Parts: sequence; C-alpha cells; structure tokens
Amino acid sequence: MSPRRLSALLACALIALALGGCGRGADERTVGSVTERFLQAVEAKDGAVACAQLTSAAVQQLESEESKPCPQAVTSVQASPGPVRRTAVYITSAKVDLTNGESAFLNRTSAGWKLSAVGCKPQAGKPADQPYDCDLEA
Amino acid sequence: MRRFLYENGLGLFFGAIFLATVIGQAFVGHADFNHLQAADQNAPVSLGRYVTSSDFAADVLENWQSEYLQFSLYIFGTVWLLQRGSPESKKPGEAGPGSDEDQQLGPHAHERSPAWAGVGGFRQWTYSNSLIIVMTSIWIASWTGQAIAGRVAYNAEQIDNREAPLNLLSYVGSSDFWDRTLQNWQSEFLAVGSMAVLAIYLRQRGSPESKPVGAAHDVTGEEG
Repeated sequence: MSPRRLSALLACALIALALGGCGRGADERTVGSVTERFLQAVEAKDGAVACAQLTSAAVQQLESEESKPCPQAVTSVQASPGPVRRTAVYITSAKVDLTNGESAFLNRTSAGWKLSAVGCKPQAGKPADQPYDCDLEA
Repeated sequence: MRRFLYENGLGLFFGAIFLATVIGQAFVGHADFNHLQAADQNAPVSLGRYVTSSDFAADVLENWQSEYLQFSLYIFGTVWLLQRGSPESKKPGEAGPGSDEDQQLGPHAHERSPAWAGVGGFRQWTYSNSLIIVMTSIWIASWTGQAIAGRVAYNAEQIDNREAPLNLLSYVGSSDFWDRTLQNWQSEFLAVGSMAVLAIYLRQRGSPESKPVGAAHDVTGEEG
C-alpha cells in the first residue's frame, strides 16, 4: 500500500469517526432511488417491483394486513409519489423526506437498502418525540 | 532494551493495556452491535465498518472526554485547593502558582531547564500551563467528537423508532447527550475525590500516590 493511499485511508477513517462513515453520499443517493422506485411502481401498479423495495418484515406485515400476496396488496398502500426533498443516513438507518410532506424510513439489510415504513406523516407535537404515523410499517 | 523498559514501565504498561482494551472493546462492541442489528432485521456490519462508525466513536469518546476533564480539573484544582492530610495536596500555605524561584523560571532556570522556562512573556506563560492546555484541548476535542458521533448513533435509533432525527444543536441539548456525559463525569469525580480523601488515612507501601506507611494522618503533601 502506497503512503498516499494509506494516508487517504487514515484520513477517511478519522473523518468517518466524526461523521459516521465514508461513502455516505452514495448511501444517500441509494435510499432516495429506492424510495422513488417504490413510489413509481405503486403508481404504475407494478407490484413485483414495489415489493422488491420493501424489507422482508414490511412484506410480511403487508401480506398479513391485506391477506393477499405482496404484489397484489402493495398497490393499495397510501403513499403519494413526489420528488425527494431530503435524505438522511445514519449508520444503517435512513429517512427520506418527500416534497409532499410524507416521509419513508429505510434500513440497510443483507439485500441492500430497503423500505421499512412508507407513507409516514409526523404526528402533532414535536416530531423528534413521537413516532411518525405510517400507512405501511414493519 | 531492558533498561528502556525499566525506565519507561509506567507509560509502556498503560499504553499496552489501553491498546488491548480498546481492541477488546472493538470486538465485543462489534458483536453487540450486530446482535442489535439482527434484532432490527438490519444487515450485520464488518469489523472495519464498525470501528469507523459513529456508534463505536461515541462509546470511545464519551469515556475519553470524561477522563481528560477529570485530570484537567485535578491539575488545575490542585494548584489552588488543598486537602489536609492528603499526599495529593500541597501543604497549607502553598496554594497558588508558586514563586518563579520555586518553579525555576526566568533567572532561576538552570542549564537543563526547558528553553521556554528561561524566557519570559507569552512563551513562558504557555509552557508554564502547557499540561493543562493540552489536557483541556483533548477534553474539548473528544467531547465535541462525542457530540458529533453521538448524534449520528442517536439518530439511527430515532429512525428505527420512526422518529425524526435531531440536528447537532438539538442533540447537544438532548437528554441522551447529557446522560452520556454526566454518567461519565460523576464516576470520574467520585473516583478522584475519594482517592484524595482516602489517601489521608490509607496507605500503599511504595506508591507515590500514598504517604509513607508510617506517616501521620495529618501530614499533608508527603509522598511515599
């Protein structure tokens, strides 16, 4: 390993200690894309693609609530499509805010970033103190 | 080599057990983190990812900051505050920064004195306080690091609970930040205060942190 590469790795490790990880920008882009892909698939009634963006726990929750397979049940999820306004990634958890005021929550699973809650709106009071009210939540 | 080890045993011993314990903390912290990840259906992370994560950084830095604060306060406090009968204290009447003669400053510096002890002005002031300046700087840096890394770790939990993340200013005012901070501070202050007081009555033969075993309880500032 060259001294320059070693220095870059060390610098990255130090910055990562403070900021929570190298490559966070790539994660932020990914969580935004996963959310947009889900919302577009729901709008286009493409259940297979929409279900592929959910965590296995969210799929189970949806199938249990709707008593139908995920690809059929997912099209009934009340999540309005809208452009991504802001993404926030913290270690293996992420939140995506849409311009329409709704939010989605994601977790980094073994299969990559997946949605664990969609169609979420803040409840009355301080959002940091109360869970969001979500249409689908694992 | 043997002579070097003998003459530097204290620093080497604590340096070695620091490395051993921080490596141990990395391994068990990684196992614990992945245990919680599995419970939340999150992917496990590698050891390398864990030791560069804010979760590990917050756990490390919250302890570092309290240790450096403790010693900074102790260094500063023992300049001015006395404890009758304690080997950690100066003798009654000696409180304060001491005279230039006692401190071997300016014209009282000798040929083996550090260079900045012999000069006056800003350099002498800086060197006269260099220990507390460096210890306090490390405290502030590690406490700041605790705030930055602790916020990220806290926000990961917030998101897992479907709650909104906090910005840095809000996190510094949060109960989580102050809980992490004060639980460390109280233990450090208890330990250092109790050592200063217990050493009035208790002894450890051969330790400079203790008075000589036969010294009277009311003898102050004598090290064994």
